[in-house]
Amino acid sequence: MGEGAPPGMSVMDLLAAVRDADERHRIFAERLEDPLAYEVEHAFHFSAKDNLCTSDFQARAGSRILEGYRPPFDATAVARLRQAGGLLIGKTNMDEFGFGSFSTNSATGVPRNPYDAARSCGGSSGGAAAAASMLEGHLAVGVSTGGSISCPASFCGVVGLTPTYGRVSRWGLIDYGNSLDKIGLLSASSGMIRRYLPAISGPDPLDPTSQVQPPLDMSGQIRSVAVPEEALTGLSGSMRAAFEDAVARLERMGVEVRRGAMPALRFALSAYYILATAEASTNLARYCGMRYGDIEQETDQSFNEFFSRVRSRGLGREAKRRILLGTFCRMVGFRDRYYIKALQVRELIIREYEEQFRSVDAVLTPTMPFVAPRFDEIESMSALETYQADFLTGPPNLAGLPHISIPCAYIDGLPAGMQLVAPRWEEGRLLSLAERWENGFEYRRPEGRA
Amino acid sequence: MRIGLEVHVQLPTRSKLFCSCSTSGDEVNSSVCPICLGFPGSRPRLNRKALEMGVSIAKFLNCDINEKVWFSRKTYFYPDLVKNFQITQYETPLGKDGFFTIGGRRIGIWRVHIEEDPGRIKRAGRSGEEVALVDYNRSGVPLVEIVTAPDLTSPEEARAFLTDLLIELRRLIGLSPNDETTVRADANISVGEERVEIKNINGLKSIEKGLKFEAKRQSKLLAAGKKISRETRRFDEERGTTLPSREKEFEEDYGYIGEPDLGTFTIGPMARAMKLPETPLARAARLEAEYGLAPTSARQIVLTSWELADMFEALARRAGSETATTWTLGAISAQWVELQERYGGRLEETIVPIIDDVRSGAITDAEARMRIAVLAGKGSEAAEPSSSEDLGPLVSRLVDSNPDVVRDFRSNPRAANFLIGQVMKETHGRYASKEISEAIRKELEKRV
Repeated sequence: MGEGAPPGMSVMDLLAAVRDADERHRIFAERLEDPLAYEVEHAFHFSAKDNLCTSDFQARAGSRILEGYRPPFDATAVARLRQAGGLLIGKTNMDEFGFGSFSTNSATGVPRNPYDAARSCGGSSGGAAAAASMLEGHLAVGVSTGGSISCPASFCGVVGLTPTYGRVSRWGLIDYGNSLDKIGLLSASSGMIRRYLPAISGPDPLDPTSQVQPPLDMSGQIRSVAVPEEALTGLSGSMRAAFEDAVARLERMGVEVRRGAMPALRFALSAYYILATAEASTNLARYCGMRYGDIEQETDQSFNEFFSRVRSRGLGREAKRRILLGTFCRMVGFRDRYYIKALQVRELIIREYEEQFRSVDAVLTPTMPFVAPRFDEIESMSALETYQADFLTGPPNLAGLPHISIPCAYIDGLPAGMQLVAPRWEEGRLLSLAERWENGFEYRRPEGRA
Repeated sequence: MRIGLEVHVQLPTRSKLFCSCSTSGDEVNSSVCPICLGFPGSRPRLNRKALEMGVSIAKFLNCDINEKVWFSRKTYFYPDLVKNFQITQYETPLGKDGFFTIGGRRIGIWRVHIEEDPGRIKRAGRSGEEVALVDYNRSGVPLVEIVTAPDLTSPEEARAFLTDLLIELRRLIGLSPNDETTVRADANISVGEERVEIKNINGLKSIEKGLKFEAKRQSKLLAAGKKISRETRRFDEERGTTLPSREKEFEEDYGYIGEPDLGTFTIGPMARAMKLPETPLARAARLEAEYGLAPTSARQIVLTSWELADMFEALARRAGSETATTWTLGAISAQWVELQERYGGRLEETIVPIIDDVRSGAITDAEARMRIAVLAGKGSEAAEPSSSEDLGPLVSRLVDSNPDVVRDFRSNPRAANFLIGQVMKETHGRYASKEISEAIRKELEKRV
């Protein structure tokens, strides 16, 4: 054991780790200096959120308990992008296991907003949105459980597409809430997403829930949208004004806008947090010291005590909160009141969207109720206030519907997004509209962009 | 006394329940993959064969089959459980409210579902420095769980239930050859009001033994005027006793939620279309009813071999059940092992003609027995007649040398039987018994 090496790591391991890090940095640095350095061989470069397994990088999912975990296989989405000619340049930071809206719950540092380093990137795919915002021609693979693509896309001024649940195989995705998790794409504009969504979509025998999907139809169009009044309460004043400007522009583009009501939306967030935490609390049970997590000299304890110690050390505060919430919701005596009820609410929300889609092609709302908050603002927010920030991104995620966040305004130089929700499997509609929107609406890029 | 069982039997599939790993790994931890080790990012996919086997068991046990089923996560922390949750079925078992008949009595079946097995913990090392090692070859192996109503009334009956159940399942889905020792059960037993659960007993013998011990323990407590407390106990195989379980004494809460990765399965149409094979004990019951066999004889025939039962039925159709019974339970089953070794698969065509010959009078019973013995590889020497004497001279010689038989015959014609036996022995079945008895009667009557 060499002096100065972290415990449990041989000098050789350490040197190899340093070499790996150097190599990754070199690729990245070259990329920044010469945009064409490796495009000779690769059609494009992409990054993967850290909860996607790849055999060439650690997969930590923003958690200390997965420190050093090198998966033996590639996530299907990553493998398919490699096959499509993509070069994976790295993994992007995130809230631990996806638990957060600001990427502040990460064991591996906090990514900063490209427009203002004192502000959040959003979360949980915060690193992915930052990469998409900063790197020209970059495709960032993100994951959304309850809004984790839309939220950072809005805060970082990029396009973020969350496909229908079951559209993209989840093989290789480190689970948060299996009935809600969706792998999607973020990029500075819709072109890359339009090009590479077909690559990652499609049935995969390794994920049974991906095998019932119809083929992707990229020809869909949006001619009418519904704007539910519930979406407009709780917005900051400037956000409301910016959103109305965007609505007016859509109308000028020929999109019919109908004002309506979706009263069940207000139950969506509660149902979402119950289902997501219930599932998360079982998914995280495996991180107990048997194969994941630091082990000190403590094998003389009973397994219960040993598991508790490893989990107490390795999991962050928000992860513990969600494990406790989720475990509570599935306990005998509470299960029917919470977990089962939440399943019923999910059906209710799905029906309410179906009702809308009978008369319009998509549902339109702002993405987030405010622009990217400063870190000091985030610190003073309670957990409940944080959860409530997802009230517009939660519903389509709960319903498993495809949705997209498109930059639609800049408020004091900070980007803000609008969100469109389409019927199941209609990702094509969303991307067509984004393309039309981009024709005439100029995205502003952050300074220092590569 | 009321006893209810939760029986776990391994389904004999080639691959595991949710991955393609083999169910029979030789080396420790050799048959494992990211799925059955619960690697983050891996996910299960269902082995259809295991589902079919489970459905056939539920249907066989006369259960109401759920039209649509899904899987659930049963969460508890244990070192042999890779994900710290077990994928099982909770709200929607494959079947419920069925029954299984043993000894003419219906035992209620509450539910039948399938689930994955955890790994296996082995303790090693000197005492004091003991370590627990985990072998994950078993992790993800498919199990069927069959839960009975508390309809069993004694440990002996519980064992009989399991014995009969395994007999039927072997035919229905095929089981491992050592199923009697690998079958596992949790047993609920109440002699008085309160029930005690004995967890995780392995093997038929232990299950009966554990229940017997527990029945006695509870009876003694009651006789002494003491109360039986509701508790979970475990069976100590070495001492043959049950002990309070070391697990904490609170109501277990597994926090069941649905397993979203597997989706739902519509099994109704599959169950309705499924044709179940006739099982041994069902066949025995049919043999009793159709051919008037005694229950023990019917059971003996089907349990000796399926082919023996086929032969019995073939004989019974041609020669009637009495003849079929005599031959099947006699000469044929006595040498069944050898016969099957040599002629397995075509025994019916080999042996039925012999019995046909007996019936037509072409050969004697004894000769038929001898031919069967020859087929079994036993009677080759005996088949050579030891006496080449003709019947007439042989009979008169034997009558001459047995004057007491001649004397007895005057008052009792059955005394001739002794001589008939002697002649048959000497001639080794060359003559039909009818022929022999007629010759002897004639010879005797000459001298009366």
